Amino acid sequence: MKNLTLKCLIGVLAITLLGGCHRDDLGTDGKKKIVIGVSLLNLSSEFIVMLDESMQAKAKELGVRLIVNDAQRSADRQIQQVEGFIAQGVDAIILNPCEVDASSPAVDKALAAGIPIINVNSETQSKPTAFVGSHDEESARIAMEHIATLLKGQGNVVMMQGFMGQAAQLKRDQGAREILAKNPGLKLIANQTAEWDRAKAMSLMENWIQSQGSQISAVFAQNDEMGMGAMLALERAKLKDKVIVVSIDAIADALQAVKEKRLDATVFQDARGQGATAVEIAVKIARKEPYEKETFIPFKLVTPETAAAQ
Amino acid sequence: MPTPPILEVNQLTKSFAGVRALVDAKLVVEAGKVHVVMGENGAGKSTLMKVLAGLHTPDSGQILVQGEPLHLRNPHDALRRGIAMIHQELMPFLDLSVAENIGIGREPCRWFPGWIDRAAMHREAETLLARLGVPIDPARRMGDLSVAEMQTVEIVKALGHKASVIIMDEPTTALSAREVTALFQVIEDLKKAGVAIIYISHKMAEIFRVADTITVMRDGRHITTRPAWLLDESELIRLMVGRDPVERAIKKPTPGETALEVRDLESSGKFHNISFTLKRGEILGIAGLMGAGRTELAHAIYGLEPADSGEIRIHGKPTHIPTPAVALAAGIALVGEDRKRHGFVPKMSVRENLTLSSMKRGWIHQRAERALADEQIRAFDIKVSSHDQPVEKLSGGNQQKVVIAKAVLTNPDILILDEPTRGIDIGAKGEIHALITRLARSGMAVLLISSELPELLALSDRLLVMREGELTAELDPLHTTEEEILRHAMPV
Amino acid sequence: MTTNQAQPRFSSILQTWGLPIALLLIGAAMSFAHPAFLTTTNLINVARQVSINGILAVGVTLVLLTGGVDLSLGSVVALAGVVAASLAQAGAYPVFIVVAAGVAAGACCGAINGVVVTRGRVPSFIATLGMMTAARGLALVVSNGRPVSNLSPDFTRLGGDLGRLPIPVIVFAVVALLAWVVLKHFRLGRHIHAVGGNPEAARAAGIRVGAIGMIVYTACGALAGVAGLVLAARTTTGQPNAGVGYELDAIAAVVIGGTSLSGGVGRISGTILGVLLIGVINNGLDLLAVSSYYQAIVKGVIIIGAVWLDRNRQHS
Repeated sequence: MKNLTLKCLIGVLAITLLGGCHRDDLGTDGKKKIVIGVSLLNLSSEFIVMLDESMQAKAKELGVRLIVNDAQRSADRQIQQVEGFIAQGVDAIILNPCEVDASSPAVDKALAAGIPIINVNSETQSKPTAFVGSHDEESARIAMEHIATLLKGQGNVVMMQGFMGQAAQLKRDQGAREILAKNPGLKLIANQTAEWDRAKAMSLMENWIQSQGSQISAVFAQNDEMGMGAMLALERAKLKDKVIVVSIDAIADALQAVKEKRLDATVFQDARGQGATAVEIAVKIARKEPYEKETFIPFKLVTPETAAAQ
Repeated sequence: MPTPPILEVNQLTKSFAGVRALVDAKLVVEAGKVHVVMGENGAGKSTLMKVLAGLHTPDSGQILVQGEPLHLRNPHDALRRGIAMIHQELMPFLDLSVAENIGIGREPCRWFPGWIDRAAMHREAETLLARLGVPIDPARRMGDLSVAEMQTVEIVKALGHKASVIIMDEPTTALSAREVTALFQVIEDLKKAGVAIIYISHKMAEIFRVADTITVMRDGRHITTRPAWLLDESELIRLMVGRDPVERAIKKPTPGETALEVRDLESSGKFHNISFTLKRGEILGIAGLMGAGRTELAHAIYGLEPADSGEIRIHGKPTHIPTPAVALAAGIALVGEDRKRHGFVPKMSVRENLTLSSMKRGWIHQRAERALADEQIRAFDIKVSSHDQPVEKLSGGNQQKVVIAKAVLTNPDILILDEPTRGIDIGAKGEIHALITRLARSGMAVLLISSELPELLALSDRLLVMREGELTAELDPLHTTEEEILRHAMPV
Repeated sequence: MTTNQAQPRFSSILQTWGLPIALLLIGAAMSFAHPAFLTTTNLINVARQVSINGILAVGVTLVLLTGGVDLSLGSVVALAGVVAASLAQAGAYPVFIVVAAGVAAGACCGAINGVVVTRGRVPSFIATLGMMTAARGLALVVSNGRPVSNLSPDFTRLGGDLGRLPIPVIVFAVVALLAWVVLKHFRLGRHIHAVGGNPEAARAAGIRVGAIGMIVYTACGALAGVAGLVLAARTTTGQPNAGVGYELDAIAAVVIGGTSLSGGVGRISGTILGVLLIGVINNGLDLLAVSSYYQAIVKGVIIIGAVWLDRNRQHS
């Protein structure tokens, strides 16, 4: 009985592994297909899934092959994956870095092996061959400026932080504080982490409603998950019409909520634009064509007025 | 000025969960003498020894070592002041060498702190072993030694700590006669070296061989201390029990119909070709040496380790017993030989342990359960502060009574008792003997496994002997002798 | 040698009543520190915020009592959440089917844990660690890696209130009460304690040790399913990456509540107090706007302190 189970397991494993090996290295024209290795931050995040999909679509269009690996938030795993790409002799690498410093060796190693590497979405300490992305600070600036406009420069703001110490949290914090400094009428009365998590954000908002009561005029959440959590808590406390909630990322849920005028605004980071551009540039480099060293895909503010157009 | 005794204990008191284990205990131990401490289980010997070894902190009282008061907070303190204990259940490091076991905790170092000087450790072990004339190679792995050898190593380890007092708790339980003689030789050598020995045992013969002084304890109190030559066996028992020992039960019953029939039972490597019958109202004894396969046979009938082949019939019906749950449903109960392992759940209360096997319904009726537990505690005379006391806090004899009561509560037709009085004092032994007889007379079929021949001879209606996994004889207890039983039990 | 009689008595009081006293003291301190703490709304908030961890902690208590551990809870919460969310699309299935599916998803994971631990004799730490990874993967597969939203209002109502009482709190209360009754008044509860206290003696006493293990792991998984449903209803979305680390919060609460990691000892009442203690501290520190960094330190110290107290109780 035990043996049988074991055999079945091995069988399934073998089929999965074999199925994973593509035998389509030759292009239709008989020339060798361009192969691009991709290491992504974390495929269980919706934004990264969108990034992945746009890359796959672009790769299909251009007739190149992608090898996509998921680093599952581990910089160490990311470096190993890049080492694997180098060993496989890929034509270019697209890196969606986990961390600013810890993922840098991945860039250094690729460059040392003479393989072009393109960073997408966020930066590393080491300079890659090319960069495609957006400035994270910029998104927070846009969000906070929108709050300042809605409040006419006067009011009490609370901020929900992401996971403390992560690059996105640090940059969004920095961007938000720049705008707060320019608007002396805006006061940051509370500031706490909800770890990017909707349920934690709900609890935090409930506690803030208790401690700050009606003083809160706006919530800035560093991502949409937390923004949705804050919004739900405010709705349950019947305070939503008195408090503005703005967050970042423009995930499907948040867009829907903006359309329904429940969420006041979100900031759209163009995942599809980033993914497609990154693949385009990787192919250009591989074909030794001229390319842009830095491409910034702009953020867009999504408000109920603009949401209909999305 | 006379030299103070090497160890003196005055007015020591200790309670556990409201039960007084020691009341004004006292003890005076002199260098170069063997001091035997006797008493029934629960008399407070073990507690006193654990206090001396630093395992328990007394509530009040005084311990003097060579006239100086001593405050023991842990076993390490006791070792530093020269008191070492050889526990009944040895706690060796099986994967380390003999030398490493002897040197553990005070490893010699060289070059820099923490670097063990193996050569020095080996030399020291050799010297110590030679001092007692023990032919054990210090390089051997502890796990490869016999129990007797391990015990000797423990004693040598105590010497390594420069112990002036060595406490030996039932040191001969697991030893053969030859090994006991060797141990006594070691004790003689220790005496010559001026070491004081506190010796705890239930075995009369060996006590009179080894003792210089005997202290008797009862109910946590000091009863008397006398030179050994002033005492004899019956006087000692009278002092320990405080009453006359229970008389041997009168026989002989008329057994009823067959309750259990075993045919050609075999379990490879353990026992084979076992056939016998057991009738209602009968006590069937099984004698044999350790390792003869008796416990394994009991486990097979009870479904703990089912047999490979053969047949078990209960009331004439062939029954397959793959687990204890099935055995209990078929009316078989077991009081196992290893009570810590199979007997009880240590942290659960006496009440919860008592009813563990016999709960029939899914819902527990709390009030009925409490009443039932109190009834059993009274019926079996279990000494507890309340039925909520955890079983682990009871003395060995009381734990055993809980285990027997638990088995009896399942209302079995067939009761298997494996060494039911092992490690139990004389008074409680008598009670358990009377109980076994009473259960059989009430119609229960009892299978009694014991290593104590007098017990088997006194209780059994019929007697089987096992040797190396086989049945070698069926004897009539009224017309046989211990010598005859041993002849059938000893390997040829 | 004389010893002080008063000291052991004091410490035994501390051991029996330490947790309720600590909860009261912290509660009193919070009431003084912030006027909003001791209000009905806030106390209801605390109850609502602890309910998910509470439901998980009840399951963990059962598993820890048998001497095992379940590390897969957080992932199972996510799996049950996305399964339920996928079925709870507006107008797709009635709520009771959604609920049944979520609980069943959790129970299946638990049952697999049970089989691996009892039949395969794999240590529970490893078995449930494997399930932690596998269930997370399955949650990502079911949801295509994305949150499942647009849930029917009939379903999300389960995360709301019934009168003034939040439904998650009612669910937690019912679950805790059931577990208490089973552990205290049913033979099953007694057997769970026995299996954790001494599995060999339990077997010899006629208890089907394997069956008890199956029941406990399945129940724990089913409760994780319930928690996943509550979480999805409360946040109006099923998220494949929800619940990361929830198992550790639950284990922490249970251990603070006095349940022994080595099995056989523990009570539901302790678990509830442990859950409340963590909840009150979280809530209080948020009210007082204590920095996130210090919040983490405070929680860590409390977990270690509680277990420290517990170890000393067992050794005295």
